[in-house]
Amino acid sequence: MNLRAVYSLAVVLTRSQVRGTQRSKLLARIFGEPRVILPVDLALLLGLGTIGYVIISSIGNELQGLLIPILPKALAGIPSAIMFMAILFGVLYEISQPIQSLSTDLVNWLPITPTEYVAGSTISESYIYSFVLCLLLGAALGPSLAFGMGWIWLGAAALSVLALFVGAFVVEILDATTNRISSSFYRKSGRSGIIFRLIATVALLVFIQLLFSGYIIGYLLQSIIQAALFAWFVPVVWPSLAVLSSSQGNTLNFLLFSSSSVVFGVVLFALAAWFRGRFWVPVPVSIKLSTGTYRPTKFRLPLVGAAETALIQKDLRSLTRRREMARFLAIPFVLAISMGISILPLSTGSTSQTPGFIFVTALLYTLPVAIFVGALSMTSIGQEGYAVWHIYIAPIKPSQIFRAKVLFAACLGLIFSVALLTIFSFLMSTVAANYWTILLIGVLVVMEASTLGIYYAARFPDFREMVRSRYVGVWGSLLGLATALGASLLTIMPAAVSLVLYGELTPVSTIATVAVGILVVVAAAKLAVRQITGLFKNIRI
Amino acid sequence: MVEALRVENVVKSFGNLMAVKGVSFTLESNQILGLLGPNGSGKSTLMKTMVGVITPDAGAITVQGVNVASNPIEVKRIVGFVPESPRLYEFLSGSEYLDFVATVHGLGPDAKRERIPEFLKAFDLEGRENELIHGYSQGMKQKLAIIAGILHRPRILILDEPLNALDPRSARIVKDLIHKLRDDGVPTVFSTHVLEIADAVCDRIIIMYNGTTLADGTVEELRSKAHKEGSSLEEVFLTLTGTSDTREVVEELTR
Repeated sequence: MNLRAVYSLAVVLTRSQVRGTQRSKLLARIFGEPRVILPVDLALLLGLGTIGYVIISSIGNELQGLLIPILPKALAGIPSAIMFMAILFGVLYEISQPIQSLSTDLVNWLPITPTEYVAGSTISESYIYSFVLCLLLGAALGPSLAFGMGWIWLGAAALSVLALFVGAFVVEILDATTNRISSSFYRKSGRSGIIFRLIATVALLVFIQLLFSGYIIGYLLQSIIQAALFAWFVPVVWPSLAVLSSSQGNTLNFLLFSSSSVVFGVVLFALAAWFRGRFWVPVPVSIKLSTGTYRPTKFRLPLVGAAETALIQKDLRSLTRRREMARFLAIPFVLAISMGISILPLSTGSTSQTPGFIFVTALLYTLPVAIFVGALSMTSIGQEGYAVWHIYIAPIKPSQIFRAKVLFAACLGLIFSVALLTIFSFLMSTVAANYWTILLIGVLVVMEASTLGIYYAARFPDFREMVRSRYVGVWGSLLGLATALGASLLTIMPAAVSLVLYGELTPVSTIATVAVGILVVVAAAKLAVRQITGLFKNIRI
Repeated sequence: MVEALRVENVVKSFGNLMAVKGVSFTLESNQILGLLGPNGSGKSTLMKTMVGVITPDAGAITVQGVNVASNPIEVKRIVGFVPESPRLYEFLSGSEYLDFVATVHGLGPDAKRERIPEFLKAFDLEGRENELIHGYSQGMKQKLAIIAGILHRPRILILDEPLNALDPRSARIVKDLIHKLRDDGVPTVFSTHVLEIADAVCDRIIIMYNGTTLADGTVEELRSKAHKEGSSLEEVFLTLTGTSDTREVVEELTR
């Protein structure tokens, strides 16, 4: 193995991943230089360690007594947690890449062996995630030193580094195999393959998002050690078991599990290199959607022209067929589940029939609706990517582009808002009793968020195709979301005042709510059309 | 002859970089005009101003008598444009893509049914039209972009390096098509780096350098201007652009 080539490759891949995902030019420049990451990691580790040591030393004996039995378990949890995270983020990185970038990997034409590639790629991935490793180890360093568990911490640190590499090897294997399997799968399955990929990607994204909710993180941390003890025969938990054995003074088990972990890592490395060698060059996926002869589209949406219908149809295909767009489809599921978690426990209490509760419910309902529609509309122009030149040269007016983009976001938003409300009306009697009032507010919020979103989409478009593309500038997304939420609040206000003052929705408050909604939509539409006109005067790519 | 395109004193800057510095010319409807010039000479920027996707800082452009600045939508309706290295909607199939382009250009179902299969067959894409564009080769994508540019029967063609990545048969079809359209009164503005192609296809050539027009005329007129009678267009081009120091560069590279 040419170690110089491995090192160079690791540096290039690290730079590529950091610069490709980091939108801040300053941060990309700083962290795109691998030499900078190591001192930052060390500073983080030592800084957190020192802070932790000072805090632990200053707390009372009683609290220390509570922490001492928890610490070995926490240390044992780090290797498993870091491995899990490396796999999860590695997979997430792969599915967030625009499809165009896959076949242009320079490794396909440079004289690098599969073993060198796997070594370089895993070093790069481990290096990028070393920040999280140092965060976890740094948090555990202070208490470990204060409680005289420095040696256990050292073992946990070494095994965590190994676990990070094991996670990176797993990602390499998944990357190589899914590349080949998906090529054959798509070739045979066609359109159903795309649907399957969409469902699988959305499910994975929902899972990842929910994983980071407080409830599930707490549950997971508690379960890791129990699961490790139960599943001692599964190699991925061996590093954790080695740390646990070390904390219990069981040297034999420590040596057994830690040496087995090293062997497991070596086997995975060899496997990853073998898979890379076998499936070296990514095969361009050829997906046949149908076998029939061409038949022109005659479908036309009511109230709009053929051009708008064609644009909407194209955007819908973009949303469902591009794997990097799947995250937008995951939003409603994540938001609906999060909303359910926060609102359902309240609905059984004695206050659930009060006007205040109805207001809170309506507010909590408009929030995910506004976020989902806002995300769709704000990204609707930037997601055209480098193919946006088609829109520039098409003989279509800015008002037609506006109508198509608004309708696309609003239609999907309406489906989501009706579905969400209907589900919650089955679960909560208060929602069912006020169904039409809340739905009216929902419709208004959908229209507001979609029109405002298009304005920001045209004001701050980001056509760059990169990993986790935003499609809208950072300021655009922040301002857009704030404005959409502000407009929602403004719309809901007359109804809320009526509910609080009179306990019901008066005709005047309903009219006021509708009037506010229409005013926001009309003003935002005018601004959006003006912005689109300006945008499409000069091509930006 | 009818004037198909008029470019008057067009100026375009990007920050400190002046990409086009007061270019003027006219094109008649029986002409194929070749735009030649080294990389960064302003060819693509100039072509984009003709289609109305870049607004010039100064100057005016009229296409078939329609002012690009005041009526860009009408210009886009009558122009067929193929950009350099076009990026397509790769999540669409070939036929979905062409259907989309045809629809936004206002073609009805009958016209689409008649023209799309015809073009797919002519460019050897028949049988692959139901596959996602993502799986197409670069040449196939280029063919689709060219079909998309001519599908709506434009009254003028503006093609930026259209023969890139095309196989010989398709390149020949494009060249013959350009000649046939010229004979039918549809002129073409055509940029290329392949001077043999420019020599064979174009009736007239403009050499651009640093955003200005260095020479304008037939190949013979350019030879005469460069005092290179009987020489190849490549010799003429290198002489006019002052970039004929190739021998020294090669010697430097192989030392």
